[in-house]
Amino acid sequence: MNLKNPADRWGGVSQLLHWSIALLILTIGVVGLVMGELPRTPKYFWVYTAHKSLGITVLALVLLRIGWRLYAGAPRPLPGIPRWQAWLASATHGALYLLILAMPLSGWLYDSASGLRPFRWFGLVEVPRLAAPDEILASAAHDAHEWLFWLLVALVLAHAGAALHHHFIQRDATLARMLPRRLRAAPPHEDSP
Amino acid sequence: MTIKLTTPAAVAAALVATLGAAPAAAADYVQASGSTLAFASRYDGELFTGRFERFDTRVSFDPAQPQAGSLDVTIALTSASTGNADRDSTLKTADFFDTGTFAQARYTASGFRRLEDGQYAANGTLELRGVRKPVTLTFTWTDGAQPVLAGRAVVKRLDFGVGGGDWADTDTIPDAVNISTRVVLEPR
Repeated sequence: MNLKNPADRWGGVSQLLHWSIALLILTIGVVGLVMGELPRTPKYFWVYTAHKSLGITVLALVLLRIGWRLYAGAPRPLPGIPRWQAWLASATHGALYLLILAMPLSGWLYDSASGLRPFRWFGLVEVPRLAAPDEILASAAHDAHEWLFWLLVALVLAHAGAALHHHFIQRDATLARMLPRRLRAAPPHEDSP
Repeated sequence: MTIKLTTPAAVAAALVATLGAAPAAAADYVQASGSTLAFASRYDGELFTGRFERFDTRVSFDPAQPQAGSLDVTIALTSASTGNADRDSTLKTADFFDTGTFAQARYTASGFRRLEDGQYAANGTLELRGVRKPVTLTFTWTDGAQPVLAGRAVVKRLDFGVGGGDWADTDTIPDAVNISTRVVLEPR
């Protein structure tokens, strides 16, 4: 099995990181949207801790992923893809990497500056504070966390929309090369009579 | 110029004159600006502090006769401020101060004791959240044109139902809350 990324598709490590981070972000996003509605009592604080812990996990994974990409490279754009499309895709990917870094960092900063209670990663490891308690900083970090989230949602929709467009409309390998082989065997829907 | 006794100014003047003429007990004081009333507790082991922005103190005190002294402090519970808006709003809820029902707390004491270390102690009563319980205030007294009463007390929050329900676990929030105050006083 080729772990590094061949020229025509993503290797196993990149795929694993891509999909696990995607799944984590989806989970964290849903929890983040819902948890604000929970009663603010200790009985529900584990939900906040879970949101923060998963976020720190994503931060670690995305750093690993960027490192891996620098080491293992990325497949070339598919032949026949217009230059502007390849450029736009690269720009979107770059922005996604930045956002996936900025989301946990702004959340972490918000948590630190709030100074409400200690944050232990999944209740196990005390996470150091990025800043001393500061209401103005906490409020700014919270706003950033929220705005970056909606920007991330917009970019993820564009990213997934483009992938699905390539897969089902243009019928090229853009999505398939981020999928394991056995899934790739399944062809796109046929509109044959 | 004739002064009509019915004008507000005349009435005010008469009141001031009465106050001035009264045998002003030199030991009666009210709170001046620059006074603080703070509390300190922990959440999950992490220290946090807060203060009451609004409180009002009246003291009668003569260091030579501490047993004749008295103290009356009214605390606006809505003015509790801990540097975090979420925590401040939680403090106002029924689980904590329940400020919708009990807007104020009050601490009263009469008759102080002089302690061996030169401090004084007041065996007073705290009325908080509809509960009245004894609370001892230990304080120092610094004489001057504006005397300063600097005191400390420990309040067991659960005695008063502060932080009940989900918050009652003392591993998370200890029962004992440390209170410290520095009241700058001026003669009444």
